[in-house]
Formats: sequence, C-alpha cells, structure tokens
Amino acid sequence: MSKEEIDRKWYEIGDFFRRNSLWLLMYCTGCCAIELPPAMTSAYDMERLGMGPMATPRQADILLVSGYLSLKTLRRLIYTYEQMSEPKYVVALGSCPINGGIYHDSHAVINQLDQYIPVDVYVAGCMPNTESVMNGFVDLMDQIKHKKAVGWKKYHENHDWYKANQIQSLGEIDVHDEFHE
Amino acid sequence: MTNSMNNVEFVKALVAKNIEPVKTETIGKYQVAFEVRKNDVHHILVALKNAGWIQLSYLSAIDWPEENHFELVYIVMNWEKPVYVQIRAKIQRDDPVIDSVLPIYPGAKYYERECHEFFGVKFPGNPDYEKQLILENWDDIPPLRKDFDPEAYSDRKFPKRVYTTDYSVTNDKDSKLKKREQRIARALSLRGGKKQ
Repeated sequence: MSKEEIDRKWYEIGDFFRRNSLWLLMYCTGCCAIELPPAMTSAYDMERLGMGPMATPRQADILLVSGYLSLKTLRRLIYTYEQMSEPKYVVALGSCPINGGIYHDSHAVINQLDQYIPVDVYVAGCMPNTESVMNGFVDLMDQIKHKKAVGWKKYHENHDWYKANQIQSLGEIDVHDEFHE
Repeated sequence: MTNSMNNVEFVKALVAKNIEPVKTETIGKYQVAFEVRKNDVHHILVALKNAGWIQLSYLSAIDWPEENHFELVYIVMNWEKPVYVQIRAKIQRDDPVIDSVLPIYPGAKYYERECHEFFGVKFPGNPDYEKQLILENWDDIPPLRKDFDPEAYSDRKFPKRVYTTDYSVTNDKDSKLKKREQRIARALSLRGGKKQ
C-alpha cells in the first residue's frame, strides 16, 4: 500500500472512534436548549450514543447551536467556532438558524446560520422533538462514517466568502465591550 | 401596618403635597400612576425616595409618534408599603433630553443607557449614557422607535434563504402516508427508556 492509502485507512479508523465518542459544546442561545435535558438524561440518554457534554471549546467535537442567534451572540459563536480543534462539526437546532423562524423580521436576529459558519446538520422544528434531536445526532454519525461531514474543510476552502458574509452582517467580528477592555 | 388601599391613598396625598400631577390613575390595589410635568420628575422622585420608595424597578420610554413625544416611565417600589408607583413624564420627541436620576437612584445607570440605546433619549448627568450596552456597532436610528422598520433592516443586513420548492403543502397520497409512518417508526425506535 502507498503512504496515502495507509493514511486514509488510519483516518477511517480515527473516524470510527471519533463518531462513537462525540463531545458536545452546547451553545444554548435560545429556547431549543430545553430539549437537551431530556436528551441527556434517562429519557433518551445521549450517553448510549457515546455523546456527552464538554465544558470547553478546545476539547469539544460538536458545536451545538440551539436556537436563535442575535448579532451579539453570533460574534461570540464565531470566536468559539474558531477556537475548536479540528475536525469539528456544527449541529443547529430549530427553525431560527435555518431561515429566521419567528424572528425572520427582527433587527437583532440573523436569518441563516450557514452564511457565517458551515453547518453539518440542521434539525428543523420550532422547537424540534427530542426524537428529532437524537435523529440529528445519528445523522451526523452517519455523515462522519460516509465522510460527508466536511463543514470544517469548507470553512478553510471558502474562508474569504465566510469572512465577507460575517463582516457584511456584523460590521466587525472583534468583540469590543466594557467587560473585555 | 396599614392595609393596601390606605397605602394608595398615602401615595396620593404625598404626591399632592409636593407637586401638582397632570393626571392620576389608580391601576389596582398595588399600583398607582401619576403623569407629571417634565420639571417635576426629580422633585417627586426625591419625595418618594424619602418616604420609603427606595427601589427603582424600571425606567423606560414609550414612543408616541402621532403626538410627537416620548413618555418616560419611572416605576418605584416600597418594600414597607407594597405599592408600585409609576411616574410618567412626556418629553419632546425631536430633542429628547431629560436630566439623569443617577444622584437619586444609582441603579438608574444601566436603565438610562438602555433607554438611550433603544430610543435615543439623552440623559445629561449620567457619565456613561452614550456607551453601548446591548446593541453592538448599531448603525441606524434607535430600534424601538415606531418609525424604525425592523423588516427592512433585516432584509438589508441579513442574507435570506431562497426556497425554490414550496414545502408547506401537505400531500396525503398513500405512498406519502407510508413514508410518514416509516419516519414515525424510526423516531420511536430511537426513543430510549421504557417501550410502550
């Protein structure tokens, strides 16, 4: 076998372990976060899929965006996403990150999350059932298995496009507030 | 301790002793509202604070574009005599300026900043009132004014998803129903815990 083939094999083995031990960084911005307690505890028990909550972005695999994102939170979300180590996946819950949902005409809430960071799995619903949330996680595992969860690669390839969108909506990505200066 | 209706009467007497309110409105057993002139606001708030209304629960504004003024609302609370007192004052919409109540109620600092951000009311006397608090890098007229159009702002600022297919029509054909049942069965198979 050539070196590339061996590398690919090792990467597949890595993917096997990765998809069976996913750590979530829960960015509970909105009301969909209420679906996470039943998903984590004994009713649906996320642990049986090998998933668990993680406290820091650097050690997490999944960035879970649960609900609407205001401009102010989007700024912090981009910080968090860029801090995460690769490979990293994004799961967005609810209709707000898809098309704005009930906040489609708000001055403060963005309408489409995948314009700013790549999203691997959307779970539709306002708010989604816990079954749908679990289904979304299983779908993400399938995508990792079939090498389709490549959002983090897209972010590298189309970095300029994502940055341009971020700047168009946010004006400035850096956080300037009285608590950070 | 006196009963609550006497408390409302107590507030009314207290206000009448100090200033002449434009309008008095008894909202309920625990709430009373006074509309006062702009120049009387600080006077009446000092009197209320000395009488025990030590907590400024809220300070905000209401926009009345037809009558061309903002109505400022100060809500104060007394923990000994449980009555919320609303002090309302109308100020010009074109040049909304009112002196800060920071020396009377230090907690007004952030309410005044919020009010400046969302309505553009100026509060001279508060050193920080122009600092941004909630909105970051705002580039339009203050967003809670009635002449601000949030939908136009959203359309201009945020990219919208374009749908080529209309997904809102539900199809009740047999084949679709079968698929729907499969979906439900899949969802149920994912459910943990006790099977029903």
